[in-house]
Amino acid sequence: MADIIQKKLQTEVEKYQQIQKDLSKSMSARQKLEAQLTENNIVKEELDLLDSQNLVYKLIGPVLVKQDLEEAKGTVGKRLEYINGEMTHRHTEVLAGLQQEYQKSQGKVPVKV
Amino acid sequence: MAERNKRKNLHPLEVSRLRDEQVKVVTGCQDQIQHWKKVQSDYEALQQRLSTLPNKLSYDIMVPFGPLAFMPGKLVHTNEVTVLLGDNWFAKCSAKQASNLVEHRKKHVKNALDDLYKVVKNFEARVGFTEDLEKLSSEKGDFVDIIEEVENEEILTKGKQRTAHKPYSRPKNQDVFDTNFEGGEGDPKATSGILPEEELWARLDELEMQEELLDQKDRMSYSADTNGDDTTSSSSEEEKEHPSGNLPCLHGEEGWPPVTQEDSRLITCQVNGNGQHHSDDEDDEGSCVPTIYFTHTVEPKRVRINTGRNTTLKFSERKEEAKRKRKNSNGNGHSVPGLTKIKTPADLYRLFVDVVNGELVPRKSILKSRSREDSMCSDTSESSDDRRGFCRNLSHDESTHSDTSEGVLQEEENSPSKPLPLPGVFEAFSGTVVEKDPTLPSLIPHLTIVSPALPTIPERKAEEVVLQVQKEPCKRMSKFKAARMQQQI
Repeated sequence: MADIIQKKLQTEVEKYQQIQKDLSKSMSARQKLEAQLTENNIVKEELDLLDSQNLVYKLIGPVLVKQDLEEAKGTVGKRLEYINGEMTHRHTEVLAGLQQEYQKSQGKVPVKV
Repeated sequence: MAERNKRKNLHPLEVSRLRDEQVKVVTGCQDQIQHWKKVQSDYEALQQRLSTLPNKLSYDIMVPFGPLAFMPGKLVHTNEVTVLLGDNWFAKCSAKQASNLVEHRKKHVKNALDDLYKVVKNFEARVGFTEDLEKLSSEKGDFVDIIEEVENEEILTKGKQRTAHKPYSRPKNQDVFDTNFEGGEGDPKATSGILPEEELWARLDELEMQEELLDQKDRMSYSADTNGDDTTSSSSEEEKEHPSGNLPCLHGEEGWPPVTQEDSRLITCQVNGNGQHHSDDEDDEGSCVPTIYFTHTVEPKRVRINTGRNTTLKFSERKEEAKRKRKNSNGNGHSVPGLTKIKTPADLYRLFVDVVNGELVPRKSILKSRSREDSMCSDTSESSDDRRGFCRNLSHDESTHSDTSEGVLQEEENSPSKPLPLPGVFEAFSGTVVEKDPTLPSLIPHLTIVSPALPTIPERKAEEVVLQVQKEPCKRMSKFKAARMQQQI
């Protein structure tokens, strides 16, 4: 009797831990994306402040490659959209689901205990 | 019981942990604030540098070579600055443009700083609260938990009970009702049973009838103006008000059942500290707060009445005083203020009386000075005792009439109180003008010179007309007019 309960408890705890890990991974990925989002926003704004006379370079490895201002603006814009898409599609559902499961297992484990 | 246990879960450990977490957040925020402040100062220094840089074509500097060496060199192209825009993007711009970019970034930094400040403020407030909570749980402070236990849920409530709340909410007057069925002792216990429902209803009806009887009695003797709406609760109170001496803490005087009834309609809480400090008993439960268990009891309404010269009497005192006065002077129609029915604002004046030499004298309005003997104003001159009552009379409106007349008459005439007629129709002018003759020390009052600001109260006029022979004038008129009058007479 006690063994069965013990095993059940074990499985529940493992599930709980797994969910916790997944959740933390998603959280960190989300945070990264958010940082990139803000950064790209700043770059976009600053590019708008410049005029065509300025030279824009992109750092690719150790090399500064000259870019066109308009091109640069376009590239940055696309990157922004990509980041936003990533955030919304991938992560919100996953996050919401994960959070739910997390809380559920939170509830289950103390009950079992 | 479970509820009580639940309530006592202010474990000091948990609270201190909460506090620690909050403090951590606060310190974290502080660190971030420091960081952003540094960034801000750096940007400002940069702006400075950018502003002075294009001043010269080239600068002689010591160029760092690796971590340990410097080389003398020159700084050229002083206006060309390559700016990192973020995310591996660079832009070559002039010093001025770079300065603009820096300005733009500083804005972001400022926003971040503001947010952090807000967070810090919030959490500091929270820390304060948790500290209080900690103190509370550790019994260090002066906090006392007051708990009222209610055993029975099916108690009559005041008015209708909302269906949404029915299953779990406690009706308001439950406690009062509870206490009443404990034999009506002054110290009701918290946990006693109640009569079964049918008996309850029967009792209710009984008490309602009693209440009606008492109400009628009240109407004869100026019952207080309390609403009799809460019939349900009144039952409980009526039981309380039984002059069976079940209220040791109240004045259970026989003369005052009407009063107590009226007053006890208002329920007031009373902390029965005596019997019910359970705090010592509860230590094993882990309660950290001294608790007082109390129940509602019914207390008479404490009416504070201004009785002249900034004194207020509590209800009991007032009653005794009035009672005494009743004994002294039967003619004194002034009843206990607590019992008087106030129907008009004027009734208020009846309540506000001074006690002078054991007599009730109507209060003088604060707007009127006492010492202006020779004023032109008709209402304010008072020089002698003889005049005082009369003039005070003048300064009150009609509602104080009965009282003032009594006071005055007792003072001056020793005649039995006259129930002066209250004219149904109030005229501004009764049609009689009585003028003062300055030469003759007549006591004819006159009404001619009345400042428009002061209302001429017809009551007063009627009285003056009636009492003109016995009263002295309390205002004067100009010499010339007086002379003229004299000539006319």
